[in-house]
Amino acid sequence: MSYLRIIWIYFRLGILSELEYRANFFVQLLESLLGLAVALGGLAVVFNHTDTLGGWLPEHLLVLVGIHIHVGGIINMVISPSMQRFMEDVRKGTLDFTIIKPADSQLLVSVQRVEIWKLVDVVLGLVVMVVGMVRLRAAIGWGETAVFLLAMFCGAAIVYSFYLILSTFSFWFVKVENILVIFQSMYQAGRWPVGIYPDWLRFTLTFLVPIAFAVTVPAEGLTGQLTPQTLWLAVGIAAMMLISSRTFWKIGIKYYSGASA
Amino acid sequence: MSAIHIHQLQKIYKIHEREAGLGAAVRSLVKRKTRDVRAVDGICFDVAPGEIVGFLGPNGAGKTTTLKMLSGLLHPTGGEVDVLGHTPWQRDKEFLRQITLVMGQRNQLVWDIPAIDSYELHRVIYHIPLDEYQCTLDELVDLLDLKPLIHKPVRNLSLGERMKCEIAGALLHRPQVLFLDEPTIGLDVTAQRRIREFVAEYNRRHKATVLLTSHYMADVEALCQRVIVIHHGKLLFDGDLADLMRRFSAYKTIVVDLAPGATAGRGAGALRPYGEVVNYTDGQAALRVAKKEAAAITSRLLADFPIHDLTIQDPPIEEVIEQVFNAG
Repeated sequence: MSYLRIIWIYFRLGILSELEYRANFFVQLLESLLGLAVALGGLAVVFNHTDTLGGWLPEHLLVLVGIHIHVGGIINMVISPSMQRFMEDVRKGTLDFTIIKPADSQLLVSVQRVEIWKLVDVVLGLVVMVVGMVRLRAAIGWGETAVFLLAMFCGAAIVYSFYLILSTFSFWFVKVENILVIFQSMYQAGRWPVGIYPDWLRFTLTFLVPIAFAVTVPAEGLTGQLTPQTLWLAVGIAAMMLISSRTFWKIGIKYYSGASA
Repeated sequence: MSAIHIHQLQKIYKIHEREAGLGAAVRSLVKRKTRDVRAVDGICFDVAPGEIVGFLGPNGAGKTTTLKMLSGLLHPTGGEVDVLGHTPWQRDKEFLRQITLVMGQRNQLVWDIPAIDSYELHRVIYHIPLDEYQCTLDELVDLLDLKPLIHKPVRNLSLGERMKCEIAGALLHRPQVLFLDEPTIGLDVTAQRRIREFVAEYNRRHKATVLLTSHYMADVEALCQRVIVIHHGKLLFDGDLADLMRRFSAYKTIVVDLAPGATAGRGAGALRPYGEVVNYTDGQAALRVAKKEAAAITSRLLADFPIHDLTIQDPPIEEVIEQVFNAG
C-alpha cells in the first residue's frame, strides 16, 4: 500500500514539475505524432509490396506498432528518466539522500523521476492498438485479454529489470549512461516482429536486449499467435530477471557503502 | 545512555593508484595497484542526548566520513558505532526515522516545484500522520520564516532561502539526531546567523542531539559548548571550546588607544619593545604578545604611556584551531 502511495506521489511531483513548462507538452505531442507518422509510413511502404510479413497481417502490425509506442512511452516516462537520475546521483553523491530514507531504496530509485508528458505516447499507443484490433474484427475474449495482460506485465518486468541491472553497474563504473543509449537504439528494432529478423539478431533481441518480450510477445498474445511455450518462457524469464536484478541491486548498494571492500 | 557512541572507529579506503602517462593508464586496466588510505583511524567519543557538538577539522580530516558512518551510509572498516541503540549501517527503518542528514553542498528538494510539494514526498516516505505533519510544518515555517518561500519554485529561491527550505524538509519527521555537514556553507552572514539561531532553538525545544561540522567558527562558537577536533583521521581534542582556547592559544592581542602625542612622534616604533605591532593607525595599536606575558606587558604599557583605553583579546578561534592542527 505504502509502495503505491510513494509511486503516486512521484507521479504527482512529475505532473507538478512539468506543468511549470507547458511548452513541453506541445513539443511532446508533435514528437509523438511524428513518431506515429513515421511508423505508419513504414508499414504502408512494406505492405505496398507484400500482403503479409513473416505471417503478420497489416492489422497485426498495427497492433504491434501500438504496443511499441505504448511500452516505449512507459519506459521513457518513468524507467529511463529515473535511472538516469540515479546515475547522476551516484556521480554527485546525492544518492546518500535516497539511501538514508526509511523506504526501499530500489523502489525510490526506480520511480524517482516521472516525465509526465510521455503519457502522450502511452495513450497514443493504446489508441493505435485499439484501432488495429477493431480493423482485425477479432473477437477478444477474456482468455486473450488475460494472456495479453500477463505478457505485458512480464515484458515490463523484463525491461525494467534489464534497465536496473545496467544502471546498477554505475556503482562500480560511475559513468555508464552510454549503456542506456544502446538500449534506446535497440528498442527501435522492436517496431517490427522479431520473427522477421535473421537468427542472430532475433536471438539478440530476445535474450541479450530483451525487447521481444516487451513488444512482440504481447502483440502475439493479443492477436492470438502466441504459443503457450513462449508465454511460460516469458513468465520464467520475468521472474528470473526480477530476482537477479534485485540481488544485483543489493550487492551494488553494499559496495557503495563500502561493506564489501 | 549516550545518543551516539563510537569506539575505535575506523574507515580505510582502497585507492587505486597509477603513475602518470598513457602506458601506466593502459597497464592499470589489467592490474591495479591499490593503496590504503586511513580516512578515520581509531576515533572514540560519546555524545549525550540533547548535546550540540561541533565537529572540527581541516578538509580531508575525516569529518564527513565519520558522519556518513554515523548515519549509516558507510560501513566502518573496524570499531564500534552505536546511534540511539542502533547499528547505523544496518539501516533499519526504525533508526532511519530518527535521524537526519543535512549536507550544505547538496540539496534534495525538487528544483522546479515549490518546497511544499517536495515535503509531501517526505511525509509519505516517513509515514508521518497528517496532523503531526501539519503541526511540525507550522512550527518550522514559523521558526525559519518560510511562509513566503515554500510556495515558490525552489529554483527561484536564493541560496540562503533554499538552505532554510532544505533544513525544514530534513526535519519534518522530527528526528532526534541531526547530522549537519556544513549547513551554512556559502551563505551570507545574516542567513548564517538565522540558521544558527534556528538550530539552537530546535535543540532547546526538542532536546535533539546535534553533531555539526562547519568551517565558520562563528557557528561553532554560537552553538557548541563542546568541540571534537580531528585531523588525519585521528582525534586531537575533545572537550569544552573554552578549554580548547585556553590550551592552544599561544598569545593574546592587546589593543591600546593612546592619548595624542603619547609616542612623541615615534609612532609604532615606540611600541615595538613591548610586543609585535600587528596594527597601528591614528593612535590605536594592536600588539601581539605571548599569553603568559600579557599581564606584565599590560601593566608596563599603562605605566609608560598615557592611555585612553586598553583591551586584551583572545586570538580568533580559527587561528587557535590551526594551532591545534599544527600541534597534531
